[in-house]
Amino acid sequence: MAVEVKLPRLGQGMESGTIVRWLKSEGDAVARGEPLYELDTDKVTQEVEAEADGVLLTIVVADGEVDVGTTVAVIGAQDEDVSELVAAAGGDGGVPAAAPVAAVPVAAATVAAVPVPMEEAREEREERVKASPLARRIARERGIELSLVTGTGPEGRVVAEDVEQAAAAPAALAAPPSPGEVEIVQLTSIRRTIARRLTEAWEAPVFQLTVTADATELAGTRERMLQLLGEGDVKPTVNDVLTRLVAAALMRHRAVNALFIDGAIHRYPSANVGIAVATPNGLVVPVVRDADRKSVQEIAAARADLVSRAREGKLQLADLEEGTFTISNLGMYGIDQFVAVLNPPQVAILAVGAIEERPLAVDGELEIAPTMTMTLTCDHRAIDGSEGAEFLRTVKTLIEAPALAL
Amino acid sequence: MPELTYREAVRDALARALREDESVFLMGEDIAEMGGSMAVTQGLLAEFGPKRIRNTPISEIAIVGSGIGAAIQGMRPVVEIMYEDFLTLSMEQLVNQAAKHRTMSGGQVTVPLTIRTQGGAGWSPGAQHAQQLEAWFVHVPGLKVVFASTPEDARGLLWSSIYDDNPVVFFEHRTLYPLKGDVPDRLEPIPLGKARVHREGEDVTVVATGRLVHEALKAAEEAGTEGISVEVVDPRTLQPLDEETIVASVRKTTRCVTAHEAVVRGGFGAELAAVIQHGAFDWLDAPIERVGAKFAPLPFAPAMEQWVVPHAEDVLEAIRRTVARG
Repeated sequence: MAVEVKLPRLGQGMESGTIVRWLKSEGDAVARGEPLYELDTDKVTQEVEAEADGVLLTIVVADGEVDVGTTVAVIGAQDEDVSELVAAAGGDGGVPAAAPVAAVPVAAATVAAVPVPMEEAREEREERVKASPLARRIARERGIELSLVTGTGPEGRVVAEDVEQAAAAPAALAAPPSPGEVEIVQLTSIRRTIARRLTEAWEAPVFQLTVTADATELAGTRERMLQLLGEGDVKPTVNDVLTRLVAAALMRHRAVNALFIDGAIHRYPSANVGIAVATPNGLVVPVVRDADRKSVQEIAAARADLVSRAREGKLQLADLEEGTFTISNLGMYGIDQFVAVLNPPQVAILAVGAIEERPLAVDGELEIAPTMTMTLTCDHRAIDGSEGAEFLRTVKTLIEAPALAL
Repeated sequence: MPELTYREAVRDALARALREDESVFLMGEDIAEMGGSMAVTQGLLAEFGPKRIRNTPISEIAIVGSGIGAAIQGMRPVVEIMYEDFLTLSMEQLVNQAAKHRTMSGGQVTVPLTIRTQGGAGWSPGAQHAQQLEAWFVHVPGLKVVFASTPEDARGLLWSSIYDDNPVVFFEHRTLYPLKGDVPDRLEPIPLGKARVHREGEDVTVVATGRLVHEALKAAEEAGTEGISVEVVDPRTLQPLDEETIVASVRKTTRCVTAHEAVVRGGFGAELAAVIQHGAFDWLDAPIERVGAKFAPLPFAPAMEQWVVPHAEDVLEAIRRTVARG
C-alpha cells in the first residue's frame, strides 16, 4: 500500500518549507529512517527521513517551496500504480521531477518557483563550453565565439592560449595539415558573418560595368601631395585620392550613393565610403564618413586609423555602420581587374585593379601610360545601366583630371 | 653579511629583544639550562638569568595563561610551546582568552604575547609530534599567525611579533633549524602582513609556506628546465594575509599552486584558493592546484612518513597539471 510523503511541521509556527534537493531518486529503495530529502525552513536546513519502507515511486515536488502537509512524494511497492494518488496530490507549487534533481545546486533551487528559467539554466549548463575564466574573458573582450574555439586544455577545456591563437591566427595559419589530410576549418564568427552577408548579396540582380582610365594625373596628383606633406601627416595613398574622387562622383550621381532597404531606395546626402580591408580574421569594411566633404589628407588620416584598428581587431560597430558605397582595391596584389560582390544594402561597389604601365592608343598613336581598370557592380533593383555608366564615366573623368573634382 | 642558521636567527631576535627591553622575557619547558628541546634558547640563561629565562611546569595551558596575564600587565612575554601538537592543550587560553580580551574590553586591555612553537615532519617524530596546525589559528579573529621559512624572515618577523600588541602564534619548522642564510647585521623588522616573492616567473605562481617554500623553489628550478617559468611567493604571515601581492602574482601568471606541509583538507591552501579565485577569477586559466600532506595521521615509519608529506616532486607535478594540455 503506497504511502504519501507529506511535508512535516518541524517546529511551531512552521507553515511551509523549501525542498532543496532529493537525496534519493525515483526508483530507489528506501528504508524507514533513511534521509530522503533536504528541507530548508526559515530557520534551518535539515534532512528529512523516510517514514516508511519501500520504493520511492514518484517525486511530486522536486524542489521549491511547499506548504506543510503537501504530498511531496509517494513511497510504495515496486511497480505499484500510484497515478491516482499523485493526481490527487496535484504537485502544486513545485516543479515535477524530470531531470536528476540532485544536480540542481542549492542557489538555483531557491528560485525554483519559476520553472522555466530553471530548465533553461539546465540546458545552458549542458551546452556550456568548457573554458577557463581567463579564456572566457579574452573571448568576451575580443568578440570571439567560444564554441568555435578548439580547446587544448584538460578534457578539451578552452584555455587562454587557444583563444589568443584563434584571435591572432586565422585557422589557416594553424598547424599545417599533413599531406593528403583534409583540414576542416570551423568558421569564426566574423567568417560566418561574411558568409551570411555575401550569400544574401547573391540574391540581388546585379550587372557589371568596366572602364579603364589613364592614371597619370591620379598618380601625379598624389606625388605632388607627398611633396607638400607636413610633419606628422599621414601619407595619402592612391586609394585615398581615389576615395575623394569617387565621393565627388557619388555626389553628382545620387542614385549610386544609396541603400536598398525593404523595397525602397534610400539616397544619402553625403558619401560614406567603405574601404574593404583584409584582416587576419577576414574581410571588414570600415567607413570613411562624409568623404565628399573631407580633404584627401583628412581621408588619409581617417583611413590610417580605421585600417590599423581593423588589423588589431579594435574596430567598433560604429566604424562599420552607415556606409553608402564601397571601394575594393586589389591593385596592391597586381590584379588587373575583378568583379566585387555587392555589400548590401548598398547598391553599388567599385572593384579597382592595379595601376600599371600599359599600351594606350592616344590620337592614333600607341603610347605607354599608367592605366587602371575599374569594375562597378550595381544592384539592378536600384540602378539602371545608364545611371551606373554615367557614374563610372564621371569617375573616369575625375581620375584623368582630378582638378575637376573641385 | 653574516650567515646565520634559522635556529640562530630566532635566537638572535630573542636575545636582541631581551637586551633592549626589560619587558621582554621567555617562558617554556626546559628552555633555560637545557636551552629548549630544539636548542633555540641555548645560552640565553647565562646572559639574562633565571628571572627572564624561565622554566615552566609541563602544562601548556599554564604557560599560555600566565603569558596572557603577564602581557596584560604590561610585559611582552615570549612563550615556547615545545611542539605545536601541544598547542591543543592551551587552546582555551589561546582561543577564548588571548584572542578575545582586546575587543571584549573595548580596547582597554591588550595582550602582546608571542607564542613560539615548532613542528613538521622529516625526522620520524610520529603522529603526535609533527603536525602542521597553523590553519586552525587563522580561523580565530584576534590572533595573528606567522610562519617563517628563512633565517632572515624568522628574525625580522619574530621581532615584529614581539612588538605587536596582539597575541601572535609564531610557527617554526623543525627541519629548517639548520638552514643557513644571509641575515643583515642590522635587524630590520619585517611587517606582519607582507608576503615575499622569492622568485619571479611568468607561467605559474606557487604560494607556499614553511618547508614547502624550499620545495617549491626546487620545483620551480626543475620546471624551468621544462620551459615553465614559476613564481614562488611566501605569504610569511597567514594572518594578516598579503592578499594584494598574491592576487597580483596570479593575475600575472594566470595559474596557481598552493603548497604547505599540512594536510590538504581544510588547510591554509583552501583559504588561499578562495582568496585567489575571487580576486583573480577572470585571470585564471587553470584550476588552482593544492599540494599538502595526504589525509592521514603521520606515520612513524620513515618511508611512510616521506610518502605522506609533500616534496618538490609533488609541487612540480601540480605545476605541470596547471599548464597541462589535452
